[in-house]
Amino acid sequence: MKKAILIFSLLALLTGFAEGQDKSDFSFKPASYYTFSWNTTFTMGDFNKWVGNASPAGAVFGGRYFLANNMALGFDLGWQRVSQSYGYQTFYGTDGSAITATNYRFTWMVPFQAVVAYHFGPAKLVSPYVSLGIGGDYMEHHLLVQEYDAYKVRWDFSLTPEVGALVKFGNFAHWGAIVALNYKWTTNKIELYNDRKTDHLQMLNLKVGLCYLIR
Amino acid sequence: MKTRLILLFTVLSLGILSCSKYPADTGRLTEDFVVYTKYNTANNFQQYTTFAIVDSIDYISPKDSGRYLNPQISGLLERISSNMVARGYTKVSHDQQPDLGITVSAVKTTTTTVYYPGWYWDDPGYYNPYYWGYPGYGYYYPFYPTYISSYSAGSLIIDLIDFKNPTPDNKYAVEWSVFIRALLTGNHTDSQIQTAIDQAFTQTPAIKKTSK
Repeated sequence: MKKAILIFSLLALLTGFAEGQDKSDFSFKPASYYTFSWNTTFTMGDFNKWVGNASPAGAVFGGRYFLANNMALGFDLGWQRVSQSYGYQTFYGTDGSAITATNYRFTWMVPFQAVVAYHFGPAKLVSPYVSLGIGGDYMEHHLLVQEYDAYKVRWDFSLTPEVGALVKFGNFAHWGAIVALNYKWTTNKIELYNDRKTDHLQMLNLKVGLCYLIR
Repeated sequence: MKTRLILLFTVLSLGILSCSKYPADTGRLTEDFVVYTKYNTANNFQQYTTFAIVDSIDYISPKDSGRYLNPQISGLLERISSNMVARGYTKVSHDQQPDLGITVSAVKTTTTTVYYPGWYWDDPGYYNPYYWGYPGYGYYYPFYPTYISSYSAGSLIIDLIDFKNPTPDNKYAVEWSVFIRALLTGNHTDSQIQTAIDQAFTQTPAIKKTSK
């Protein structure tokens, strides 16, 4: 969370710097752009009880196509994994059996979303935006007791509001950077706990990557 | 140019999506020991008073099965005994007709199949009941043991046998089984081995002579 605040502070400074340095009208509003981002996930709520560690193991590929009035439509497709080792734990069966072994948990996710976005000043060097992703996820929740793997597969519906910014590498550059933070709410749940219930997995995602703008 | 870039992004995304879902550090899980236990839930372990334990470990191997004893094995056997004594049982010699007998075996090589009933019960793979002073008897499981298709090298098997209640057809029940994977591979210290033995007893609180 602190990293997100720091990045957005830098972004705000960049915006001011860019505007102060260059008030030229010679820029362009892209017709569309593609992004490829490295994604870090911070689990929240019940999801955080399943896996508490933040995870940088993920990426998102997206595309946006501008319509009228700075609105854009597009998609996001990604891959993400959160994982944590819980050391030795004992699991008891009802038949007199018990097993003590290293307990490792991870969730592997493939999110897919349709996105609607609004850009503030898409022709500027730094173009902040807000967006809403609507779609779903394919998730696998794994509980590894030693190398014995118990897992559940679940599909879900999810909503992802996001704030971010595109930063062009020059007024007429096709390449730029993207920084964004989003909150994801899903209908997914984890059913591998015998003694607790998890519903509506939630997470924060920090995206940092490249964008390619097309005129 | 535009097409190439779209293709580049598509390839990159496919590459990312094909990344392994399993974290890299899960590969180390096979190196850690597992302590698996199962006991006969219908049994009252307070009915027993004495126990005896084998004086060496029976190594299971297709080539050179035999019985072995070294300081590490001695320490392991002593740890099992001390746990039993702490639970209220009295240790006696194996030829003094104990109520309970404890056998300890270790798998020396990999790809060994285990099936129910215990494949390793016959000589030289196990301690024949003759060792305990009961020639002509056999063993059986009163509960359905977990099927284990292969043992890794160094896996330890401990069985607790009931000599107090033989069946009419001369069989003794194995009332408690312990399987500790990879315990004697050389990758664990004596302290870790002791801890694994203690854990087997900790997760089976039913095995005790006294009610406290």
